[in-house]
Amino acid sequence: MFRLRDSANYLAAFLIILAVNFFLPRLMPGDPLTAIYGEEALVHMTPDAQEELIQRFALDRSLGEQFLEYCSALLRGDLGYSYYFNDTVSAVVFRAVPWTLLLVGTAILISALAGSIAGMESGWRRGKRTDRALLAGIMFLEGFPDFFIGMIMLIVFGVVLKVLPLAGAMTPYAGYTGLALVQDILRHLILPASSLALVNLGGTFLLARNTMVSILGESYIFTARAKGLRERVVSYRHAGRNSLFPVITHIGIQFGRMVTGALFIETVFSYPGLGLLIQKGLQARDYPLLQGVFLVVTVTVLVTNLFVEVLYKKIDPRLRPCISTTGRKLETTV
Amino acid sequence: MLSLKNLSVRYGKNLILNNVSFTLHRGESLVLIGESGTGKTTLAKSIIGLGDGSYSGDVRYRGQNLLAMDPEEMARIRWNRIAMVFQNVESALNPLFNILEQVAEPMIEHGLHSPREARSKAGDLLKKVGLSTAHFLLYPHQLSGGQKQRALIAMALANDPEVLILDEPTSALDPVTKEEIIQLLREIRKKCTLLALTHDLAAASRLADRTAVLYGGRIVETGPTGTLLSDPGHPYTRGLIRSYPDINGTKDLQGIPGRLSRPKRGCPFEPRCTQGIDVCKEAVPELRETGKETRRMVACHRGGIVPLLKTCELSAAFGRVRALNRAGITVFEGETVALVGESGSGKTTLARTVMGLQRQCEGEVYLEGVLVGKRGRDFYRKVQMIYQNPAESISHRQNVLEAVSEPLEIHRIGSPAEKKEIVKRVLDEVELPSDDEFLKIYPHHLSGGEAQRVAIARALVLEPKLLIADEPTSALDPSVQAKILKLFLNLQEKRGLGIIFITHDIALARKVSDRIVVLKDGYIIEDGPTGAVISSPGHPYTRRLLAAAPALPYGLGKGVPSYTDKCLSM
Ligand SMILES: Nc1ncnc2c1ncn2[C@@H]1O[C@H](COP(=O)(O)OP(=O)(O)OP(=O)(O)O)[C@@H](O)[C@H]1O
Ligand code: SF4
Ligand SMILES: [Mg+2]
Repeated sequence: MFRLRDSANYLAAFLIILAVNFFLPRLMPGDPLTAIYGEEALVHMTPDAQEELIQRFALDRSLGEQFLEYCSALLRGDLGYSYYFNDTVSAVVFRAVPWTLLLVGTAILISALAGSIAGMESGWRRGKRTDRALLAGIMFLEGFPDFFIGMIMLIVFGVVLKVLPLAGAMTPYAGYTGLALVQDILRHLILPASSLALVNLGGTFLLARNTMVSILGESYIFTARAKGLRERVVSYRHAGRNSLFPVITHIGIQFGRMVTGALFIETVFSYPGLGLLIQKGLQARDYPLLQGVFLVVTVTVLVTNLFVEVLYKKIDPRLRPCISTTGRKLETTV
Repeated sequence: MLSLKNLSVRYGKNLILNNVSFTLHRGESLVLIGESGTGKTTLAKSIIGLGDGSYSGDVRYRGQNLLAMDPEEMARIRWNRIAMVFQNVESALNPLFNILEQVAEPMIEHGLHSPREARSKAGDLLKKVGLSTAHFLLYPHQLSGGQKQRALIAMALANDPEVLILDEPTSALDPVTKEEIIQLLREIRKKCTLLALTHDLAAASRLADRTAVLYGGRIVETGPTGTLLSDPGHPYTRGLIRSYPDINGTKDLQGIPGRLSRPKRGCPFEPRCTQGIDVCKEAVPELRETGKETRRMVACHRGGIVPLLKTCELSAAFGRVRALNRAGITVFEGETVALVGESGSGKTTLARTVMGLQRQCEGEVYLEGVLVGKRGRDFYRKVQMIYQNPAESISHRQNVLEAVSEPLEIHRIGSPAEKKEIVKRVLDEVELPSDDEFLKIYPHHLSGGEAQRVAIARALVLEPKLLIADEPTSALDPSVQAKILKLFLNLQEKRGLGIIFITHDIALARKVSDRIVVLKDGYIIEDGPTGAVISSPGHPYTRRLLAAAPALPYGLGKGVPSYTDKCLSM
């Protein structure tokens, strides 16, 4: 199903990320403690506390021992301590992660659905008016940076029309529960998620459209037409499903870009995810926090890619090994 | 049931199909033969209304014009009434669905059956076409070409169509699978009206009662399959048959000169035809009945392959000995007729009588349909003869140039320079050197093979339509003989030369001729297609000739190399 070699690739990528995270601050000129924690934090620290930190990171020992110490800390889920939030980095990051995931997930869902449907429809009617209008419109949107679309949406729907909340992920201290809570969260989600989706729609759309166009030339589409099937059946069941594969891979690849996009969008909408954390971390020069966020983001992207690959094999029977569904070994007949 | 009337299809400027008309009655089967690119797939697509060219003409199904039908009505006709098996087996099935699903789909979508019923019926169909239950849930990429073809056939049968269109149903398959699929289709033929499109003549002959030959977007010949293939009327049909590697064929494969083109006007075959006349370039020939048989139609201004030479009741006598008795032979354009028989049977007499070198005492000779009286220049321009011994045709006082250009001299063709050009060209044609040095050689300085080639060049220099070759190679060794025979066949392919090939060697006749005429004591005792005469001779004398024919000791017929015998006996 999923072969060892594929997993090995992911493992290698993971190790590289770890190594970068470990070596980068230590190889920077100057005091590694400063590099790891930032000058600001050190200023506020007592010499005792500093001494404790040196112990903790094994900074007085060899690089190998330092790395071991680093890894074991990671395994314990210890990403360091954030002085700005006065809490462990892991706790801070994991409070923010769900929001970013929710935001990126929703945005991906929207852009994948809208992008591929629009793309397929456009491809089906290639050269016609709808196709040209869609193509022009989406390419126009694609031209803007993430935050710009976010700001426009914010101004239009939040400020002028006042239909949607301006900031945050939920109304603070409202004490909603159950369905009301879900509704509140969704209302807050709409603007940032759709801004993020809109900017990232273009790739999916173009890909879906082009795949559709090329698949329409395939013989099996001709077969489907000759069978007298309805247009919808031909376009969605026969052409559409076949044009999904590249789109799925593309969405997987897009995930990383979406996460970066989310970081900007979150600042625009003050959405309490990793983006906002980074912003705060940067302002406060909270290095452990920034590093923690970096690690979490990269690992998430990796895991998603792995997931997409598995999914891809599930959908396309050609990538599955040839086993008769009846389980019996096949005799070779003509 | 299904009838096409003046259907024309064009892609941009290219007219792919040009006024194609035919009618297919209920329960009938028709196969359209045509080489690659003649527009077979285009025709199939336009019948189900899915072609992408521009159309004119009618495609009528039960009286309704399919080309003018609105899309929804057309969708109802597709698969319910007219279904199709596609040429492109490898990609005609959707890779993402198992075959059971794909066979069941049209039944479900057309609302004929509930999904459950449809699946069980699809299963029955797949079983019927020879797939086992283990294959039902497999995806196309897990099936072999033959299995995919079967699945496609099952799918085509799903909605019980009345008309089944088969586009190259067997071309991509190996011979054994092909045979099985043909059997299956023959079974299906009993219930469906069948329209098959193929370039495979053998498959065609097994699939349909009637055959139409498509060339350059037009139908050039139609008729009952069996007789059309055994006795083609159109030069193109004959060309196709000659280039088909038939297991019973004995003559070497011959191609058709030139390649497929689509002339703007005139007969589409004109650029490749060896018997074209002026009108062929100007006007398109209509499909017309020929004398051959009822329901045989040929589109040719000359009524099909023309009989070059015909003799009726031709007799000749030396004193009181009748050396030839009421001989009737016909030689068609581009055809080799072998005259075989032992020496003294009258072969040479027949040839000499035709040439007018021997007085005929009764009967007639017709050349291109015209009764031949006294042989004049016109006659010899069209009919030339080559003898066993080159010295008989070439005087030893002439050098090569003089010998070959003499007929031009006699017919007063060309200036000396032009003559030399013509001679050089002909020498090239017979694969002799054409430099000035060679032109000055005297024939007795040439080898036997070369001298015979010079004689052939001399015979060909007037571009005759008929060549009578009397034992032209019997004085040569086998390797030279093989080369000269190849030369004859090439010239025939290129120019449509008719050849009367006189030989006592039936093994040789078998390799070069389309028809064999056996003479004995001045009587024609057998006349038929070479393959038939060789495999089932009708006259005991022919059998004797065959038995006496030279054969190399290969242990033929035993299927084992002869050396194993030797090993065993040691
Ligand atoms: N969509 C198209 N646009 C332009 N030209 C086309 C198109 N489809 C086919 N043709 C041309 O029409 C001619 C006939 O094609 P067609 O596919 O009908 O041939 P065919 O007889 O089925 O050949 P084959 O035996 O190779 O399948 C070819 O010259 C081809 O190049
Ligand atoms: S003789 Fe003329 S009409 Fe007949 S096939 Fe030849 S070119 Fe066509
Ligand atoms: Mg074809």
